[in-house]
Amino acid sequence: MSWWQVWQIVSTPDNTPVVALLFLMPFFVWLGLRQARANDRLIGQLEADPEMRRTHHRKTQPLEPGWAKEVHVWPFLLRMEFLAAIIVTIILMVWALSLNAPLEALANPHVTPNPEKAPWYFMALQEMLYYFDPWFAGVVVPTLIIIGLMAIPFIDTNPLGRGYYTWKQRKFAISAFLFGLFLWMLLMCFGVFIRGPGYMWFWPGQFWDPARVVFTVNRNLPDLFHITSAWGKGIFGAAVLGIYYAVVGYGFFRLMTWNEFNRKIFRRMSLLQIFVMDFLLTTMMLVPVKVIIMHAFRIKYIWMTPWFNI
Amino acid sequence: MPELPSPDPVQHRSLAGWYMIAALLLLTVFAWALFDEVIGLRPWKSYQARFKVEYAKYLRKQITQQRAQQQKIENSPEYLALAQKAAALKKQAQPEIEKINSQIAVLNAQFDAILHIHTTRQQYVASNIYIVEYTKSAKRKKELLTKLARYEKQISTIRMPEAGGKTRLVHYNYRQLMDAFNQNSDQKSALYEKEGNLMAPASDAEKKAKAYLADHLTGPNVTALQGLLAGNRRMSIRIRQFYNGKAGIVDRCESCHIGILQPIKLTKADMGGNLLFISHPDMELLKIHDPVIFGCSPCHAGNGMYAESVKAAHGFREDWTWPLFSKSDLDAGCQECHAKDMVVDHAPVLNEGKFLFEWRGCEGCHAHAGYDQSPGEIRTTQREITSLEKQRNQDALDVQRSNHLGDIAATNAEAQADYLHAQSLQVSMSKISMRIDHDTQDVHWLMMDEKMVGPDLKEIRAELNKRWIPVWLHNPHAFDPTTRMPNFPFRPGDVKAISAFLWRDAIHMQAPQQPPGDPVKGKQLFRTRGCMACHAVGYGKNAAGGWFGPNLTRVGEKMNYDYLVRWIHNPRQRLEPYCPALGRDLTPADYQKAGLPFVFGLHHDTFEGHALQVEQETVMPNLRLTLKSAQDIASYLITLKEKDPSSYSPAPYMSDPKLAAKGKKLLQFYGCSGCHEIAGFENAQKIGTELTAEGSKPLELFAFSRFLEDAERGRDGWAFTRASWFEHKLKDPEIFDQGMIRTAGEQLHMPNFHLKPEEINALTTFLLGSQTPRFPKNMMYDPSGPAKDIQQGWWIIKKYNCEGCHQFTLGQSTALMTLPWFQTPNGKGDLPPRLLTEGARVNPNWLANFLANPALSDTDVHRDGVRTYLPVRMPTFYLSPIEIRKLVRFFEAMSHQPMPYIPRPVKPLTPDQLAMARALFVSPAAPCLKCHAIGVPAHDKFATAPNFLLARKRLKPDWVRHWIMNPALIDPGTAMPSGLFKEQDGLEVFSGPVPPALAHYKGDEVNLIVRYLFELTPEEQQRLIQMSGKMLMPAPATTSQLERPQSPDARSAAYVGTLVASH
Repeated sequence: MSWWQVWQIVSTPDNTPVVALLFLMPFFVWLGLRQARANDRLIGQLEADPEMRRTHHRKTQPLEPGWAKEVHVWPFLLRMEFLAAIIVTIILMVWALSLNAPLEALANPHVTPNPEKAPWYFMALQEMLYYFDPWFAGVVVPTLIIIGLMAIPFIDTNPLGRGYYTWKQRKFAISAFLFGLFLWMLLMCFGVFIRGPGYMWFWPGQFWDPARVVFTVNRNLPDLFHITSAWGKGIFGAAVLGIYYAVVGYGFFRLMTWNEFNRKIFRRMSLLQIFVMDFLLTTMMLVPVKVIIMHAFRIKYIWMTPWFNI
Repeated sequence: MPELPSPDPVQHRSLAGWYMIAALLLLTVFAWALFDEVIGLRPWKSYQARFKVEYAKYLRKQITQQRAQQQKIENSPEYLALAQKAAALKKQAQPEIEKINSQIAVLNAQFDAILHIHTTRQQYVASNIYIVEYTKSAKRKKELLTKLARYEKQISTIRMPEAGGKTRLVHYNYRQLMDAFNQNSDQKSALYEKEGNLMAPASDAEKKAKAYLADHLTGPNVTALQGLLAGNRRMSIRIRQFYNGKAGIVDRCESCHIGILQPIKLTKADMGGNLLFISHPDMELLKIHDPVIFGCSPCHAGNGMYAESVKAAHGFREDWTWPLFSKSDLDAGCQECHAKDMVVDHAPVLNEGKFLFEWRGCEGCHAHAGYDQSPGEIRTTQREITSLEKQRNQDALDVQRSNHLGDIAATNAEAQADYLHAQSLQVSMSKISMRIDHDTQDVHWLMMDEKMVGPDLKEIRAELNKRWIPVWLHNPHAFDPTTRMPNFPFRPGDVKAISAFLWRDAIHMQAPQQPPGDPVKGKQLFRTRGCMACHAVGYGKNAAGGWFGPNLTRVGEKMNYDYLVRWIHNPRQRLEPYCPALGRDLTPADYQKAGLPFVFGLHHDTFEGHALQVEQETVMPNLRLTLKSAQDIASYLITLKEKDPSSYSPAPYMSDPKLAAKGKKLLQFYGCSGCHEIAGFENAQKIGTELTAEGSKPLELFAFSRFLEDAERGRDGWAFTRASWFEHKLKDPEIFDQGMIRTAGEQLHMPNFHLKPEEINALTTFLLGSQTPRFPKNMMYDPSGPAKDIQQGWWIIKKYNCEGCHQFTLGQSTALMTLPWFQTPNGKGDLPPRLLTEGARVNPNWLANFLANPALSDTDVHRDGVRTYLPVRMPTFYLSPIEIRKLVRFFEAMSHQPMPYIPRPVKPLTPDQLAMARALFVSPAAPCLKCHAIGVPAHDKFATAPNFLLARKRLKPDWVRHWIMNPALIDPGTAMPSGLFKEQDGLEVFSGPVPPALAHYKGDEVNLIVRYLFELTPEEQQRLIQMSGKMLMPAPATTSQLERPQSPDARSAAYVGTLVASH
């Protein structure tokens, strides 16, 4: 165990944001959930006590008698936001003053650094390149993420839980979002902390030796079944992927209709909304599935065609 | 109980505390930012401030010191006399000067009075003339001119000052005004000139006094120091940088190293113990490399643009390609631009590294631009010959075509043009033919210069003790700890296989049998002939002799006597010549088949049109020993052994053909042919990495293997730098295979040279400096003319170890000088000549002849052509004319001589002058012939200087003149006495009692001797010898001659008798 190596990675100025993220992400998730729990408790009280519903604002917690139900943006919101702005300014300045930009030497066309890592915010994308075809990891997935995020307001038929933190009224949405977010973070951490020279997999504390030799034989799923013809591979892969979409899609369908609350919302959705949501979630699940089959079974591609591989 | 409503946290909570804290923090951070901006990121500011203080302190101390010294000089009688003389002269001129000054004062006052009105009126007239000139109407012109004439007649009244404070009114019209003004100026300049003339003697005397002060003051004078102090006071704190846009150099080093260019030398102690503030320790170097052009980082490396932190500015970051060279590797900075030099001034460590790279045989496996060029040049020349031949054939066809075109041309002019074209092609064809001849000759010459580090292994059957070979291969350093042959990382069985291969493919021939010689005489010869300039006997403290060639302490264990005699007699002799075109050695059978006698040599170096390698590729020269002497020396050397050659265990496996086949592959793998000539491997490629740009190879490409973590963490003496990698590799070439599993043929195979730490450092320096040039071509040191000649010459000097015998620069030591008998005061006279001014001394044409044949004779070769009296002999190196040309140019350039040399005509002596010169020559106070050789063996045995008869062809008259006047200035420590002549009224005259013949001579006496020397004939010399008579007696027994190792035991009493009898 080489703590020296761990320190080398963690102390690199490039990696500062990711190291900070390791602490900040859980913290803010915790903060949000705490607020959500308090709100949920209030919602419970309000649902139980019709009298209270009349005196309390629907969405704020806790409200004491005599408190204004609504307050003005100025000054009550803005003074908080301004304070936050000052604190963020301080943090940014301290950061900028204490760590220099991690610039390297002049580019040398004769030497390509291996790996040339992306900045931290693209690291998850780069890590995804390890599991998918470039066109898929670099084009399809980012496009789907953006489209998916844009589509949320249009496929979200849940009328509750808007404008305040709640878990009870948005279990499905929050779970799906957090799953995606942590998946993204996990890929990012792989890229930053685990991937050493040659983009090899180094366990934390292992010395990053560029001359290390590792056993990485990548097989494709059709190979395991001794399918050699291009047609065979294409059809077989399409079938497997079709089965995957059917099974996992059905799983998400079951989740969408898990309990009465979910079913109520589900009933408000159109067929298109259901399919879009199911497709997006199933495609998202493809990422962890590929990560697992790659590392656990050393299987690289499932569906192979002359034009693309998945 | 009524519950009081609790205050609403959103509306009533005060954020003042939070704001207070945030604002204070923000303020602190702003302060921090400000600090960083002003001081934190600009450490040089505080350095400069500290420097100002330290420097001022130092300057004040210096001023006090220098003032005291200056006063001491000013109080010396010499200075006082000068000062008084100046004062007296000044005083003498004073009354006249004062008079002139008062006249000038009056003129100045008059000038002031007249100036304003003069300017105004002149302006008016000039502007009106302009208008007249550009007016078109003649009438208007006339009007204007009339008006102007009227204006010129107007009178101005001026109150003019006069001498004695009086004034007078004057009335001038325009013309008069102009005249008065000009007159004033003329008078004033006349007065100034007069004043200057009056003051001249005084100011000259003052200058003399000042010069006296400057000459006697050590260090800067007080005024200069005060100037520096004032400058220091004015010095602003700012970024200082050298900027050379064309070369992309931006070096801000001076911002911190602020004292580096100060005009006075600042040491660490001077600057309060602060190393940062010293001035550049080698100002000479800066004179050659003006920092304004070169900056700092081209030599020292580092990140010159950076001035924010010490570490980053010095480039100590793993991603900066050019980290600052450490003190021990400082010279590496020279190599980038001086890659073409073998010897770089001011860079002893680099020079050592460059030399080691060649001498140690690194170049055998590793290509490096500039090294081992002859094989490449031969190939290029041969290719050129082929292409020239093609072109000539093409031209021949074109000639026919053009002639034909001319025949059928429509017009006369066209026909003539075609014929002319054909003619010019024919001329160019003949030029091509001449080029081909020249190139063909060059190929032969280049082959003469091809040398290898190790001996020819084709001849080991004739040369070596068979049983010794495997023992040697296994561990050369155990047999001879000083050998250049490295220890190879052989695997078990490799040695047997390689020995078997070498034995199988060696030439099956023996050297002719030789009768035994006299080892006692041989030892004497070995010690005196100059063998020890390169070879040593004994190890460690007992070692005596040079280091350039192999140590001979145990040579008797390995060599065959017959071969050794042959080798000593002429080391360049081969058993069989090598034919590159056929790729093998030519056997007697080949010659027989071609119907030729089996004869080859420098004059028989072609076989059926193919150029041959007829020489051994060794740098060992031919000492022109007689066969008898060679036998004597060989008999002595063969006695040098620690155990009996037959006590080595027999090696029957060396005749195993299977092993030999395996050995061939191994030999290829280990790259033996890099240093040795081996049958079948004459054209083998270098097996190592090219090192021309190794110093700029990215760090990540260096395989630290299992030591990478140590290197990156900086533990156990490792560092993640190129220098660290080189040092470890050179110390233990297999270190990066440690702990690795390697199959045969895959392992590292660089052998271990057992280099000394300083050798490792020198080579590391050389490798670090071997970089891809970063700067434009015109910054590289690629001179032309004499500088290039020097650059090229050093390669040859180092190649043949000329420095083993001769000194080329003062302070350089030769191997012979270190031998005990050459260190005695008498033995020093027996050293080979120093070549400090060789280019100025000798005629280059003569030098070329001498280098080609140092005996200066084709028949009497067992002697030295110039210094026949020296026991040490200038050997024959069989230099090719290419190398001779380079060497001659080198000597000429080293002595600042113009090329080509055109001798100055020497005026013949008149009969009178001849008699006088003769008299001087034999004058008893300085009998020239006593020391100089005269061609009489009995006398020449005791001579310590060359024969005068050589002078005319050999020497340059100008040099001879300087030499006779003061030889010690040219060659400190020479046996030739200085002070024979003294200067008298601009002429050189004899210092001793002047011979009567010269009593009335009014000319330059050295001139006389020089002219005499240059018309000396053998007959004239005989005459001189007779005139000298008894003066040619050998010197008394206390002089150097007795110390000569080869001096005859009996000093003939009948010496003079023999002398007389000999003519």
